[in-house]
Amino acid sequence: MGSIDNIRHFIAAEICGGNCDPIGDTDLLIDQGIIDSMGIIVLLEFLEEKFDVTIEGDELLPENFATLTAISTLVDNKSGIGKEG
Amino acid sequence: MEFVLSEEQTDLRDAVIRFARQEIDHDLSKHDSDGTFPFESWHKCADMQIMALLLPEEYGGCGSDFLTTVVVMQALGYSCSDAGLVHALATQILCGLQIHQFGTPEQKQRYLPALCRGEKIFAQAITEPGAGSDAIGAMRTRAEKTEDGYVLNGSKMFISNGPIADVVIVFALTDPDGSRLGGVSCFIVEKENPGLERCRSIEKMGLCTLQNGEMVLDNCHVPDSALLGRKGQGAIIFNESMEWERSLLPAAHLGTLERVLETSVAYAKKRSSFGRTIGKHQSVANKIVDMKVAFELGRLILYKAATLKTQGKRAAMEASIAKLYISEGLKKTCLDAVQVHGGYGFAKEYEIERDLRDSVAATIYSGTSEMQQAIISRLMGL
Repeated sequence: MGSIDNIRHFIAAEICGGNCDPIGDTDLLIDQGIIDSMGIIVLLEFLEEKFDVTIEGDELLPENFATLTAISTLVDNKSGIGKEG
Repeated sequence: MEFVLSEEQTDLRDAVIRFARQEIDHDLSKHDSDGTFPFESWHKCADMQIMALLLPEEYGGCGSDFLTTVVVMQALGYSCSDAGLVHALATQILCGLQIHQFGTPEQKQRYLPALCRGEKIFAQAITEPGAGSDAIGAMRTRAEKTEDGYVLNGSKMFISNGPIADVVIVFALTDPDGSRLGGVSCFIVEKENPGLERCRSIEKMGLCTLQNGEMVLDNCHVPDSALLGRKGQGAIIFNESMEWERSLLPAAHLGTLERVLETSVAYAKKRSSFGRTIGKHQSVANKIVDMKVAFELGRLILYKAATLKTQGKRAAMEASIAKLYISEGLKKTCLDAVQVHGGYGFAKEYEIERDLRDSVAATIYSGTSEMQQAIISRLMGL
């Protein structure tokens, strides 16, 4: 499973509790209320542990968590996958 | 797994304990009953570089790590009976962290040296009259964009250091119709700024030297340069700050708990009833054993949270557990200590009575115990 699908599965299962429609790559996660101010704490814990990355203060921007594509791009770039690919 | 502090950390801890016992000598009973802030002791703490610990040397800081700062806060909670002063110091340190992590080079240069020296007192304004535990979700204070900055309107409540603050980090809505996660921003507002009104300190049952009050923002215009972090980053800054705060404040609580524990042990070994010292009565000993358990286990989770933060890792779960466990442990410890001390514990001339009053607030501010449980359960995937 690629990073974007890993993140999609986590958000659907753990943040939405399985109670949301299928999440598209460019669906607006924050604007649609899928990720709220507490959900971002849960998501950050998951991303840093799952992908073994540290997301720094200047990367903690709403736009980096706006869509699945944005989140996976951030994670892939930090873990080197994005740069290689 | 290492459970031993470095020699440097233990030396610093011992120095802070000596400092507090020798130098923080204001009349606490009078300040407590009058509800006044001990400015003289505040400046002594600044001279001791308590507020400067975590910040880089280029701003007048000490460049210490987070665990060391937590150890110092624990030492202060242990050796300084004025929990209100210690809370004010933690607030100052927290504001420094926010500006250092999210501020521009100009903001760091403008504010951090004065913060380190204690020349300016800092506060952060999040809570509102109608927004406590749901501070971000129920926030009503707005920041509307103008040509050259923002205009802030709203009111903030229970702001620690607020009535005496020179600089306030204000959280406000910049996108009231959007999601709260991307709709809140932070602003650095100075007391001279027209439209910022600091109201008088609120009388409380405990932490009486800590100045908490309302703040009114009435067409308070700030320049673009007052924005801390990026527009819309406020909720994320808030979350980050809470991890630090939920380690710094419990550190002070743990120090107080240790002091109350030692006081109770000493009293139980000295006071006699029915022909033996009261510590030999199992009903008394059990209360003191509970204090010891709370101290030892609280220290483990606190140091784990602080070590994770020192390593640049996330510690939301650990910080919330530390906040919940230590604050509840402190409140129970103080209540049990009053019981162990009997009539003397209830008397104002013994410090236990004030410690108990102070401890009640620990389970409320920086997120109530119920909020910590909610955060922990979310992080557990429940």
